[in-house]
Amino acid sequence: MVAHPRVESHSRSARRLNEPRPALVACEGGVPATVDRVRVAALREEWRVVDRWWTEEPVRRRYFEVVLETGRNVVVFLDELGGRWFRQSA
Amino acid sequence: MIACLLIPAFALRAPLLRRPELAGRPVALAPAPGELPLLGSCTGAAERAGIRPGMRLSEALATYPGLELVEQDPAGAEEEWERLLRRLEEAGFAVEPVEAGCVYFETRGVERLAGGLGDALRRALDAVGPEWGARVGAASRRFAALAAATVAPAGRALVIDDGETRLFLEPLPLDLLPLTPERREELSELGVKRLGELARLPGTAVADRLGADGAEAWRLAQGEGDAAVAPRRPPAELAETLAFPEPVANELTLARALAALVERLLARPERAGRAPRQLALSARLVGGGSWRRSLTLREPTAEPDRLRLALAPKLAELPAPTAELRLELGELTESVGTQAELVRPRGSRLRERLREGLRQVRAAAGMDAVCTVVEVAPWSRIPESRAILVPRDD
Repeated sequence: MVAHPRVESHSRSARRLNEPRPALVACEGGVPATVDRVRVAALREEWRVVDRWWTEEPVRRRYFEVVLETGRNVVVFLDELGGRWFRQSA
Repeated sequence: MIACLLIPAFALRAPLLRRPELAGRPVALAPAPGELPLLGSCTGAAERAGIRPGMRLSEALATYPGLELVEQDPAGAEEEWERLLRRLEEAGFAVEPVEAGCVYFETRGVERLAGGLGDALRRALDAVGPEWGARVGAASRRFAALAAATVAPAGRALVIDDGETRLFLEPLPLDLLPLTPERREELSELGVKRLGELARLPGTAVADRLGADGAEAWRLAQGEGDAAVAPRRPPAELAETLAFPEPVANELTLARALAALVERLLARPERAGRAPRQLALSARLVGGGSWRRSLTLREPTAEPDRLRLALAPKLAELPAPTAELRLELGELTESVGTQAELVRPRGSRLRERLREGLRQVRAAAGMDAVCTVVEVAPWSRIPESRAILVPRDD
């Protein structure tokens, strides 16, 4: 076998940092009670992000910073337009 | 369009091509040495005789005593697969192999050359050759292309238009989704057996019940999913093989054979002074099976002693006497030398080590593994809009 004669150009592209990842969240009274099946020990903060409402891809999110029973700090948000939960570093 | 070329049961087809006398007969892939006695893929004739992949060997032989078994040959299959990938690359396709028998490529670049999408797909099938029973699916998303390839007849291409993706996916089984058997079983118990049935469920309910895997499966069933292909860099490699007059199990003989292979490879003029970063040692075992181990070096080297030291422990993992030993050198890189300086510039050693570390990461995890964080909108209220990752070239 000999070295391949052709030099292949490798297509590479930039990607977003900190993309939201789907999370499994169960709510009690509108606030997260479990995140990925781990119980929430404390709710630290809650805020909303409403942006890009003037575009075709508006953003309407309700963020929660919670402490899990394992001691981990986690930020999750409810995408109010799609009705799905995500995890993200805020 | 993204195309997916599929060769079902590749691990079985590869050894069968070398044994034409078994064509049309009930044949199955024998269990690997030292593993559970479960059958691998089997031919259509074997399936018609009641044999199923994953069946216990004893049960299969009781079901059909005339079943022919073919030894697993991972090294041979990998060699054949590499040959097919190179044929596709020579036909102009920048390929992204997923596993032996499944490869993705973007057709856009070749369509004008070939005279249209249909001709480009024909070109890919011709490059592979009719003996493999390859089929191609093309769609705007990877998953739909894979699904189309599984449905297409051997030697044919199936193109799914963007507007028809959901309709096309609807009647297909859940087996295509990247779900664990337990998750698939769970869905089946809930009466969900087709992609269309999954796609009709509310996405939130699927995510709640099945977690992140389920949410991803639901997205795929909707006809969404990844729409990009990351072509590989064709490997530049050198290989040498040593066939023994009779099978060898003696460690000393194997170590000597390995030393001879290292010397022969390092003496090859095509190496042109370059040092390998990746090594692959494979063996053809007595009885027809094969064995293969790959390793990535911390730093490229062309020193025979260091190569032997890195490879020698692998010889102890050989499961059976060896009829043939083969060594491949990959990722050949120019050596910059390590000449010491009297007074080194401040921080140069650290920078050199950092560069070397980055090279190692790229060799092990791919060219896109090392990126720079570039802030694009640090003021944004949307966290994922603040910065992007750009692959580094240095």
